[in-house]
Amino acid sequence: MRIAVCYKWASNPQDATATPSGQVQWDRAKPALSEFDPVASAVGRLAANAADAELIGLSAGGTETATPMALKAALSRGLDAVWVVSDVELAHARPERTAAVLAALIRSIGDIDLVLTGDASIDEGSRMVPNLIAGHLGWPVLAGVTAVEPDAGGRAVRRAHGEATQTVRVSGPAVLSVASDALVPPVPGMKDILRAGKKPTHHVALQDLEADAPGVEVAERRRPARPARKGVRIDGADATAAAAELVAALRGDGVL
Amino acid sequence: MSTWIVTANGSAVPVLAALAADSVSALVVGSAQAAQAAAEGPVAEVVWIEPEPNTPPEAYAPAAAKAAASAAPEVVIAENTPEGRALAGAVAVALGAAVVPGASAWHTDDGVTRVEYARHGGIVEEVLDVAGPVVVLRDAVGDPPAPTAAAPIRKVPAQGLAATVVDEAQAPTESVDLTAAKTVIGVGRGLKAEADLALIEELAKALRGEIGCTRPLAEGVTWLSKSRYIGMSGATIAPTLYLAIGISGQLQHMAGVRGAKRIVAVNTDDAAPVFAEADYGIVGDLYAIVPAIAAALGT
Ligand SMILES: Cc1cc2nc3c(=O)[nH]c(=O)nc-3n(C[C@@H](O)[C@H](O)[C@H](O)COP(=O)(O)OP(=O)(O)OC[C@H]3O[C@@H](n4cnc5c(N)ncnc54)[C@H](O)[C@@H]3O)c2cc1C
Ligand SMILES: Cc1cc2nc3c(=O)[nH]c(=O)nc-3n(C[C@H](O)[C@H](O)[C@H](O)COP(=O)(O)OP(=O)(O)OC[C@H]3O[C@@H](n4cnc5c(N)ncnc54)[C@H](O)[C@@H]3O)c2cc1C
Repeated sequence: MRIAVCYKWASNPQDATATPSGQVQWDRAKPALSEFDPVASAVGRLAANAADAELIGLSAGGTETATPMALKAALSRGLDAVWVVSDVELAHARPERTAAVLAALIRSIGDIDLVLTGDASIDEGSRMVPNLIAGHLGWPVLAGVTAVEPDAGGRAVRRAHGEATQTVRVSGPAVLSVASDALVPPVPGMKDILRAGKKPTHHVALQDLEADAPGVEVAERRRPARPARKGVRIDGADATAAAAELVAALRGDGVL
Repeated sequence: MSTWIVTANGSAVPVLAALAADSVSALVVGSAQAAQAAAEGPVAEVVWIEPEPNTPPEAYAPAAAKAAASAAPEVVIAENTPEGRALAGAVAVALGAAVVPGASAWHTDDGVTRVEYARHGGIVEEVLDVAGPVVVLRDAVGDPPAPTAAAPIRKVPAQGLAATVVDEAQAPTESVDLTAAKTVIGVGRGLKAEADLALIEELAKALRGEIGCTRPLAEGVTWLSKSRYIGMSGATIAPTLYLAIGISGQLQHMAGVRGAKRIVAVNTDDAAPVFAEADYGIVGDLYAIVPAIAAALGT
């Protein structure tokens, strides 16, 4: 039996810029494991240990997804092996496409009955990938998951649900999106990184997967107009003077 | 053109239906009360799936997808909640629809739907043309339209997937609506200890404002409730005045405050990105500046 963790190798748009014509320049943004995905890997490791299952990582993305650095970063997070679909075409994939590829990959690997994902990716954050994967597979999907344990009727899934916490018993396969604060993932040590280099890595060609997605056409891209700000700097060395200056300015603006 | 609303929350239906230009049907996975709340909205029909006791709405995503697919709507508005997204995922796959999170506007002409939305934390806006069905995700915020004559409710029999809630505990957390506050004091990781929230409370009292925060202060550490965090995955607010105290100004946070009339930032790091989006930026230590502002307001 296998438990799969979907992880994304992505850049933080904080470090990207958009041109006035809406082209996103990613060159200064270094890709990394999407911020919340190590939490999913760590929750997956605990679930796999409890169920005596193999824990595998799945990723779909552009060519940078298959670099040794990306593979090592993922494998040092407690995964036993990874399967990667990397293709230039996927660097511009939408959530529908990403999910179709991951669902097809899950079917083709086989023997997977639990799929974990992070809460949201750092670059898009649509939170739709787990839900679309579940739609493809016909499996239930639950969000806000903090722990998974084997239980008499299948699996006990603990999750945050609005203001409550719930335990949901799931007896068949499922997709679970892991809460970003489920646990604090351990930082990989030297040993983890060295061991990562020896773990199996499988590359699956995009054309070997049946993963069609609806076509959309980008009619226009633009950099959004930001509200004009005054941009007044106040030196805070003298706190009393700075506070007085601020309060006077806010009163002048009529916002107090 | 036809629009469907998909949600597990009946009271979201009137608000979401007001976004559609034409005839709307609502698909509700929930209790009888939820279906009735939905029927009060400007909808032609409520299609209702009633979950078995102790079965989460997410287990009915395939059933919802089947119901939606048989009606073949051009646009589906799904509520942007965990349950709404679960239903939306199955519906989108069944319809072969494009999925657009956070769509701000859309209209269909000659079978092509044009959708506008912001991407990558709002650094770009994209306009898409989709020659097929589209699922858009929206928060149900705003006032509902006046109730109309109750729309007919059609119950569809449905089989859920195998998932059962076996245990539920209410966590004693508060729920605040930051969107209603005229002044919001946002606090970030610049605050060193939970006890120091007292400083922020003093300032909030002096400003008669609500306290909000960045995501790390509500998740990971739980100094403040999740309903107080602002940003891409939290609340979107448009107060008259927003103060960002000890907040670096990452775009995932700033995406939620750009509607504020005035933004004030207090940060020790004069290179913090928050200053680029502030009207007034005080470069200084919040532990000195915050009490000073509270004192200045009292005079
Ligand atoms: C440099 C760059 C450029 C891009 N340009 C475009 C573009 O021009 N047009 C466009 O439509 N999209 C573009 N994308 C984004 C697109 O490829 C997204 O990967 C896709 O939309 C996935 O949705 P999401 O990120 O919202 O995932 P979410 O649903 O927010 O992610 C939730 C979880 O799903 C899993 N997951 C998400 N994506 C993957 C993945 N690829 N592999 C494995 N697990 C995953 C992870 O566990 C993640 O935590 C770009 C991305 C990058 C990095
Ligand atoms: C998918 C995704 C979604 C996210 N969604 C959200 C969201 O909705 N909302 C959100 O807030 N975040 C969100 N985040 C997190 C976001 O990226 C940032 O990590 C977060 O906003 C940073 O919070 P912060 O500003 O409090 O902390 P930091 O970035 O650590 O900033 C702390 C600041 O305090 C300053 N400081 C330190 N000491 C003092 C002092 N004594 N006086 C004054 N200033 C001081 C520092 O100079 C620094 O600038 C998301 C992240 C991801 C990956």
